Amino acid sequence: MATITRPLPGVATEGEHGPGISKYLRWSVDHKVIGIQYMVTSLCFMIIGGALAELIRTELLTPSLDVMQTGQQYNQLFSIHGTVMIFLFIIPFFAGLGNYLVPLMLGAKDMAFPWLNAFAFWLILPAGIFLLLGWFAGQAEAGWTSYPPLSTLFSGDGQTMWAISLHLLGLSSILGSINFIVTIKNMRPEGMGYFQMPLFVWAILATAIIAVLATPFLAGALTLMILDRVAGTSFFNPAQGGDVLLWQNVFWFYSHPAVYIMVLPGFGILSEVLSTHSRKPIFGYRAIALSSMAIALVGFTVWGHHMFTSLTPELRIPFMITSMIIAVPTGIKIFSWLGTIWGGKIHFRAAMLFALGFLSMFVIGGISGVMLASIPFDIDVTDTYFVVSHLHFVLYGGSVFAIFAGIYHWFPKITGRMLNERLGKIHFWITFVSFFFTYFPMTLLGIEGMPRRVAIYAPEYQGLNDLISFSAFVLGLATFILIFNMIWSLSHGKRAGANPWRALTLEWATTSPPPEHNFVGDPVPFKNPYGYGTQASYAYLNAIDDQFGPPELPPETRELTTPKPATSGAGD
Amino acid sequence: MNLGNLNSNNRSMSLVWIIAAGLAIVLGGLLIASFTPSIFPAQGSSQSLQVDTLFRFMLAIGGMIFLLVNGVLLYSVIRFRHRKGDNSDGPPIHGNTTLEFTWTVIPAIIVLILTVYSYTVYNSILAPVPNEMDINVTAQRFAWTFTYSITKDTLPEGVTLDQLPADTQAALNAGKSITFNSPQLHTWVNQPMHVLLNSEDVNHAFWVPGMRVKQDVLPGRTTDTRFTPIEDGVYRIECAELCGTGHGGMAGSVVDGVLQGSWLVVHSSEADYMSQFYDPQAKAVLFPPTDPAVLGKQILASGAYPCPTCHTLGALNWTGTIGPHLDGVGTRAATRVAGQTAEQYITNSIRNPAAFIVPGFTNDMPQFHDSADQTNYMPDSDLQAIVAFLLTQK
Repeated sequence: MATITRPLPGVATEGEHGPGISKYLRWSVDHKVIGIQYMVTSLCFMIIGGALAELIRTELLTPSLDVMQTGQQYNQLFSIHGTVMIFLFIIPFFAGLGNYLVPLMLGAKDMAFPWLNAFAFWLILPAGIFLLLGWFAGQAEAGWTSYPPLSTLFSGDGQTMWAISLHLLGLSSILGSINFIVTIKNMRPEGMGYFQMPLFVWAILATAIIAVLATPFLAGALTLMILDRVAGTSFFNPAQGGDVLLWQNVFWFYSHPAVYIMVLPGFGILSEVLSTHSRKPIFGYRAIALSSMAIALVGFTVWGHHMFTSLTPELRIPFMITSMIIAVPTGIKIFSWLGTIWGGKIHFRAAMLFALGFLSMFVIGGISGVMLASIPFDIDVTDTYFVVSHLHFVLYGGSVFAIFAGIYHWFPKITGRMLNERLGKIHFWITFVSFFFTYFPMTLLGIEGMPRRVAIYAPEYQGLNDLISFSAFVLGLATFILIFNMIWSLSHGKRAGANPWRALTLEWATTSPPPEHNFVGDPVPFKNPYGYGTQASYAYLNAIDDQFGPPELPPETRELTTPKPATSGAGD
Repeated sequence: MNLGNLNSNNRSMSLVWIIAAGLAIVLGGLLIASFTPSIFPAQGSSQSLQVDTLFRFMLAIGGMIFLLVNGVLLYSVIRFRHRKGDNSDGPPIHGNTTLEFTWTVIPAIIVLILTVYSYTVYNSILAPVPNEMDINVTAQRFAWTFTYSITKDTLPEGVTLDQLPADTQAALNAGKSITFNSPQLHTWVNQPMHVLLNSEDVNHAFWVPGMRVKQDVLPGRTTDTRFTPIEDGVYRIECAELCGTGHGGMAGSVVDGVLQGSWLVVHSSEADYMSQFYDPQAKAVLFPPTDPAVLGKQILASGAYPCPTCHTLGALNWTGTIGPHLDGVGTRAATRVAGQTAEQYITNSIRNPAAFIVPGFTNDMPQFHDSADQTNYMPDSDLQAIVAFLLTQK
């Protein structure tokens, strides 16, 4: 049975007289500070990337080029939109959340390599600024995929800056991932084997393994690109014996696994949120944990499906087979999550709504993904708005919905304050509806024949494009509800207490925000992080409330804090 | 229907509901798939029939999965929502091996079926067929050029070998072919097409949505694709791989009701193809006009060079805006660069466009070289004719 170590008197409560924001602007080796630095930085880049997206949608209100002066400017817009959202928003946000949560979930005092951790973070901001400064040198204009020879023979010097920036971000990703792997391997507390870890930690582990193995390939490709651009080599210049497909192969060998770098942590968030807010153990723990690893491994064998119209025809077939197979572990997760909420006591908090929204929308991205694995259909719709729709269903409906769910779920832990639930629900419903009307019509556009990455298009596509653009404006504005909520709640939110959601994972077994070394004494994990519905878990959760004091919750959720005997379940 | 209480007394009732829900999901998936004809462009090729059927099959299955997941989700959030005053947790169920096995194996079987089905379709759509027409396609920033060959055996209607100029006769007799260019790809119903794709500069992708055919065009190698049109009509050809500032314009468009840029024109019969396209085009090349200005106009209209995407020129119905207008260039040209006559200026603007950039425009025009070994080759004879024509644009 779990026990909880008592805090030393006077040490456990922090936050009231915290050192303010100055410590977040300085070098710090505290994983919590670094985690917040990552997340705040990446949310700032989300606003930049979002603003670029709204510019793109403004240009696409009409079939002709009118907002931008040249097609080149438009190309620069979506190139930087994609790069910022992937490399400066989603990947660093998950790195930040992982940084904040992994040591806490493991009951550890910090990451294995605190200095390296800080170094990895401080690469992000310079790299991001350097990327954006490319506007003054002729910004990269070859898309986030930057296929040569457009990116080597035609783009401005911003393209070189783009490559250098990605080099730094890749380095950051590798260093951060090594840190995660070592931390997870070595710093688990007594009694927590791999299969007692929270699934978020499993997801971060799988993500880190992918990042360590795949990112060096990105670095290799970028090095060749920089050499081609500045040193006169011709790795990608066919006129001098180079090969344009070399880039595509190496780039996608990184970038397909990178898709899983961007979505596996989201899967991890989903497992935590769904189980906690439906008050039910995760359904099929091992299946979810191991399917992350299966996705990580199979993810290395599918890169060719991005090249179904450029690879030699016979070579396309093996990639179709692997790309179809990878749908199976993803399906296992979806069904396991449905099994988790089935029969539970679902609390419709904003975090849960976003998690359910993820489940509902991600499945569309999954289905269109399987369709795209089918070569004959892919040949027709690749490089069209069908693909734009697919990737946004996965990365917005998946990763970003998960990020929002994660913010609503862990903001109380990180700040000690609750977010406003009513604003959260408004944020969810506006986001959910406008998301669908932004991205679903794109599937139709792609099938009808509109290619991606065009500023001018056939007039018959204008109706759908206008619908998409107006939805995108609403979607973008809705994000400010969240941002306002975060800033407002920082000072006005209700006090969260240690464990407002009555969750069983270890990060909730300490104050909110946690003290400098996370726990006072050595925390003892509850033996099953998802063991809801048992007498043992009630006792454990009540003990936490007794120790840290109950949260100051809005009336509709206050009842949760009163200890109550179990009505079902036979004990663990 | 609670997973924890599968053995409860209302099990038979649950079974009825499960069967009903399953039927609703299957019918729903089929219903979703039945909407597809309304979103696809017209089915123009034999390939399109197979690809659309494959898509409809995938959409039916995908629709069922969508309805299953969202149906279970919706049912759960209604049936299992937290009720006021209930502080307990859900039942401590950690898994169900049978269920987990089922939802691993069924998706595996589905993707296996999809893989085999896709493979058979794929093998069929790109398979060579007899009597294909080979067409060389050149992609360059930002236009498509389709090249047709005239051999001794394919002289246009009413033309005999001895009517031709002596050097043309000699070339044809030696087994060589004379080529002519078109910005449009012409063929006729049921004529299998084999397009051979080459790029002058960057990656492009040849896409005809009406044919469901796409293939990347890669510098340094020749790629190819196949399709067999089954319906006459015009089908837009588009570039689907980002190629630079004019990427969106590298497609067919309609200007004042006239087709402009790259279109696939499928004639209803070979006779129509010959009389409306091949014969007049071939004759124009076999008997070139003697007036260089007329010849220049013919060359530009043939789509041999990618000018229309970027330039506006009323005489040829061009509407591009990336580069300077060419209307009135014959007058303006003499005033651009001190010391250059109009003829010298236009010549230099084609051979070395970076030397002088018209204010307000960017350096995006390709350099047209005088050597066949180089990319963007424009022989001196073509250049002189084009310059002569542009000088007439007062």
